[in-house]
Amino acid sequence: MIQIIFHRHKCIGCNACTESAPGRWRMSHKDGKSNLIGSVQKKRVHIAKVGYDEYEANLEASRNCPAGIIEVNGQD
Amino acid sequence: MQQSIEIMAPAGSPESLTAAVKAGCNSVYFGIEQLNMRARSSSNFTLDDLRDIAKRCKEANVKTYLTLNTILYDHDLRLMRKIIDTAKESGISAVIASDHAAMAYAKQVGLPVHISTQANITNIETVQFYAAFADVMVLSRELSLNQVKSITREIEKRKITGPSGELIRIEVFAHGALCMAVSGKCYLSLHSNNASANRGACIQNCRRSYIVTDKEDGHELEIDNEYIMSAKDLCTIDFLDKVIDTGVRILKIEGRGRSADYVHTTVSCYRQAADAVLNNTFTPEKAQAWKNELSTVFNRGFWDGYYLGRKLGEWSDSYGSKATEKKHYIGRAIKYFRKAEVAEFKLETGELSIGDTILITGPTTGVVRFEVDEIREAELPVNMVKKGHSISIKVPERIRASDKLFKIEPNEIHLN
Repeated sequence: MIQIIFHRHKCIGCNACTESAPGRWRMSHKDGKSNLIGSVQKKRVHIAKVGYDEYEANLEASRNCPAGIIEVNGQD
Repeated sequence: MQQSIEIMAPAGSPESLTAAVKAGCNSVYFGIEQLNMRARSSSNFTLDDLRDIAKRCKEANVKTYLTLNTILYDHDLRLMRKIIDTAKESGISAVIASDHAAMAYAKQVGLPVHISTQANITNIETVQFYAAFADVMVLSRELSLNQVKSITREIEKRKITGPSGELIRIEVFAHGALCMAVSGKCYLSLHSNNASANRGACIQNCRRSYIVTDKEDGHELEIDNEYIMSAKDLCTIDFLDKVIDTGVRILKIEGRGRSADYVHTTVSCYRQAADAVLNNTFTPEKAQAWKNELSTVFNRGFWDGYYLGRKLGEWSDSYGSKATEKKHYIGRAIKYFRKAEVAEFKLETGELSIGDTILITGPTTGVVRFEVDEIREAELPVNMVKKGHSISIKVPERIRASDKLFKIEPNEIHLN
């Protein structure tokens, strides 16, 4: 499993993550920020544990995030 | 000559907002949430802050403008409407927009609209087009004063009025950072870091120095002019009479990413200069004194922008600020004693002596600056204190616990 950590409150809603990993990210029409699908919220941080197969796409999402608020913790 | 000039100040934080109001601005502009051009660099306010900002500013007779000027995607529309609805309910004076969806919605709900610099207005027909939505428009920063003047004259001649029925009022940038691209329409930051300037996420890589590599032999050339993409900062104070003579009504100061002391200094200099122009007491000597004062706070060196008809930009020869003064954080206020007009501070770092100039900033205090003439430690007068000590100082106006204490020192690198 890999872990995706998302600091949602700092999201500027640019849409880049949904382009890189469309299955894992979706823009909220409610507040214009991105949602990390299947995540659990702990205080202001959203965390999702997903399969290895999603590593590459989410790493790209993390690299492309202009706000630098997506962390992808590697395969174990 | 006109009756009044509105000084519009940037408010990127509660400290800057207070500093702007105290320094004598007529209006402030600020962003909330993520749909503004400083989504990344300033500590933006939230929807919950709007009512308080509107109330505080109304009491001080200062108008409040909310920036909602990024490009908007479909997923932003609901938030855009929520921001405009909340602004309207909270009593915000106007919204600064560049996207047509935001203009149309604000008009629909009856919130006045100002056209943002992101709309790049450069001609009278465009003014006429936007007149259906807005009473106030900022012109593109790339116009010359002659071009500005011809637009304001034509507005009067054609009697172009906005939704209020009044003639369109024209606003221009008077001071602050300039962009290497046409007023913010830049792709550099998006290209290199996927961080779009047009979504308020500019990483300002134009401000750095670059090396050109010869692809054939690999030789690297450091570009002689060093910071070829980093424009110097706009400063119009020494020809503010000419700027006001064009018929503009509002002077906007750039800098939502800047500190409270920057906002205080720029607003008070332009306030005094604009008043001097209106009273016919503006002189080159006074202008030079204001310019010297402006150079004490953040700047990349000054130039007159495109207003006087220069074809090419003037580029900075260094990274970061050329301010002639630097402020060092040294501690925090613990308590203010109202009757004695004395404040207690805890010195966390550095030292403080009698004769030093200090700056105190806080969300409600704004900016207070003065020279220290007496320091007391445990009620006994001392000449100098070092970090770790608690001291009391007489302060010229009320400050608050947790306000930050800075020491002002000359920035020797930039003193010639």
